[in-house]
Amino acid sequence: MASVVSNGALRHEKKPLGMRMRKYWGFYLMFIPVLAFVAVFHYAPMFGIRYAFYSWKVVGDPKWVGLANFEKLFKQSQFSVAFANTIVFSVVKLLLNTGLAVVISLLLNEMISLKFKKVSQTVIYLPHFMSWVVTASVFSLILSPSESGLVNQALIKLGLIDEPVYYLADKGWWRVWYYIINVWRETGWQTIIFMAMLTSIDPGIYEAASIDGAGRWKKMWYVTFPALGNTIITVLILNLAKIMNLFESVFVLQNDSVKRATNVLQTYVYYQTFNSGASADYGYTTAIGLFRSLVGLALMLICNYASKKVRGRGIV
Amino acid sequence: MKNKNVQYVTPSGLKVEGPTGLNKPRSQYTPFNFVNGLVFVVVCLVILVPIWKVLIDSLDLTTGYGVKLVPTKFGLAGYATIFSNPSLLRPLWVSVYTTVAGTFLGLALSTMGAYVLIQWDMPFRTLFANILLFTMIFSGGMIPSYLVMRRIGLTDNPLGPILLPAINVYNLVLMRNFFESIPKSLFESADLDGCTPMGAFFRIALPLSKAALASIGLMFAVAYWNDYTNFKLYITDRNLYNFQMKLRDMIQSSDLPEVAGGATENTIRNACIIVAILPFMLLYPFLQKYFVKGINIGAVKE
Repeated sequence: MASVVSNGALRHEKKPLGMRMRKYWGFYLMFIPVLAFVAVFHYAPMFGIRYAFYSWKVVGDPKWVGLANFEKLFKQSQFSVAFANTIVFSVVKLLLNTGLAVVISLLLNEMISLKFKKVSQTVIYLPHFMSWVVTASVFSLILSPSESGLVNQALIKLGLIDEPVYYLADKGWWRVWYYIINVWRETGWQTIIFMAMLTSIDPGIYEAASIDGAGRWKKMWYVTFPALGNTIITVLILNLAKIMNLFESVFVLQNDSVKRATNVLQTYVYYQTFNSGASADYGYTTAIGLFRSLVGLALMLICNYASKKVRGRGIV
Repeated sequence: MKNKNVQYVTPSGLKVEGPTGLNKPRSQYTPFNFVNGLVFVVVCLVILVPIWKVLIDSLDLTTGYGVKLVPTKFGLAGYATIFSNPSLLRPLWVSVYTTVAGTFLGLALSTMGAYVLIQWDMPFRTLFANILLFTMIFSGGMIPSYLVMRRIGLTDNPLGPILLPAINVYNLVLMRNFFESIPKSLFESADLDGCTPMGAFFRIALPLSKAALASIGLMFAVAYWNDYTNFKLYITDRNLYNFQMKLRDMIQSSDLPEVAGGATENTIRNACIIVAILPFMLLYPFLQKYFVKGINIGAVKE
């Protein structure tokens, strides 16, 4: 700034702020609606974070309690279960989805019939457009222990089980199916980014490899796979930054018998606030939300740093 | 035996010399290709069978199904119930109007915001960008958001689930990436010819990004049609439920409309799932490239 002021020539080049702003007045006008929406829906809630230090029952006024909400929080076993679940569900899901997406992309890339390749791609992208409610509805009908449940009936017919199992009401099975359903819905969609990378590999590299006597497996292992390396890391970093957002996929698959064991932070906040009647405390659940946002922020910053190291640019 | 060098042509037309036998054209019917094809037949079946099962159950008027992949007693009564019952038609209508209104509003905000963010010399541009980007890494959380929405009267108000998702910073950034690829000289010459910023927005920026508008518009439309979380948080009045909310209720409880024309409860549940996915399943084959494009500009951009 000092050099600008002391240097007469420079000052003449850069017009005064007011004049430059006047030139752009139309753009400022265009930005007002965007700013208004962000202010109301994103920044106004940030001011509500102060309630994390209050006790605010559904009826009555907020009352200052200092750090009492956080003391309560860290003593609750339900909270630690939810926190652990958030991390475990997200990480396992992320590794499964990414790993399988890489395998499927490599296999798709080797497909001879272009027509069948296209059809396969169309089919595997499809479930991504179904809402989580629809996905959960489809699977709760198919996994139903009643005689219309496809999975149970098929397993009984094959003689693998004698009695129908209520998969989504059993803690252990619920987790297994949660991962299966996530793979069913998201893995195909994740292949898009890997396929885009694969089609950008220079065919000359494959030719050179063939000339050197590399077969299909060697080409896959030494040419294709390394080319994906950076993309895989990028995908992992981008998604790791968002793991604290987990909500809807868990919420729609839950039912009363597995709720406690399968809660993640966001579903815990929801039930504590909206499903516990008059004992609900906005202050306490805001405190959980604040904890979640801070962990999310930390993850974001770590991933941003990692992203800058690995690929030379941040994620936001 | 001595290796004899021969000339052969690589797939991309390159002529190279090499020993015979190493690169003879391979048959397409190798075991690998067969197994690979088989893998994808299985993958496609795993994805399609659950959807197929729902489809045939929605067309079947009996309840005891077991393992069947064709309807036992075919009938359209399930669908007839949906389209004749106000308790199901109303949520469908809510879904339609929130999707249409939200998509237009979302596109308007994303394009305007993105257009401002590409004005590199504009004072406070960086500040504006940072204001938007900060919301991607930190948020007030579910309960403070709920309290704000309640305070400003957007709970139990269909405007809530329309307005809130319309500001989507991720989509706005995607849009900005698109606008960035428009040559600067176009805007400069428009400016010289006396075109206002708004004029350049409508005459240059928007017409040159039709593909982007299509993909980002589709992303908004899918998000609005599939929205459940915002309705669950901000809407308690059953008359304002969208179709996803109604569907969830019907699957969870036996809160079912009166069964008409020989359809069973199960028929109606399945028919509702099909209606919920139908709009995008019908559009999807034709618009696949736009659906796919969105993710690629976001992720594979330089």
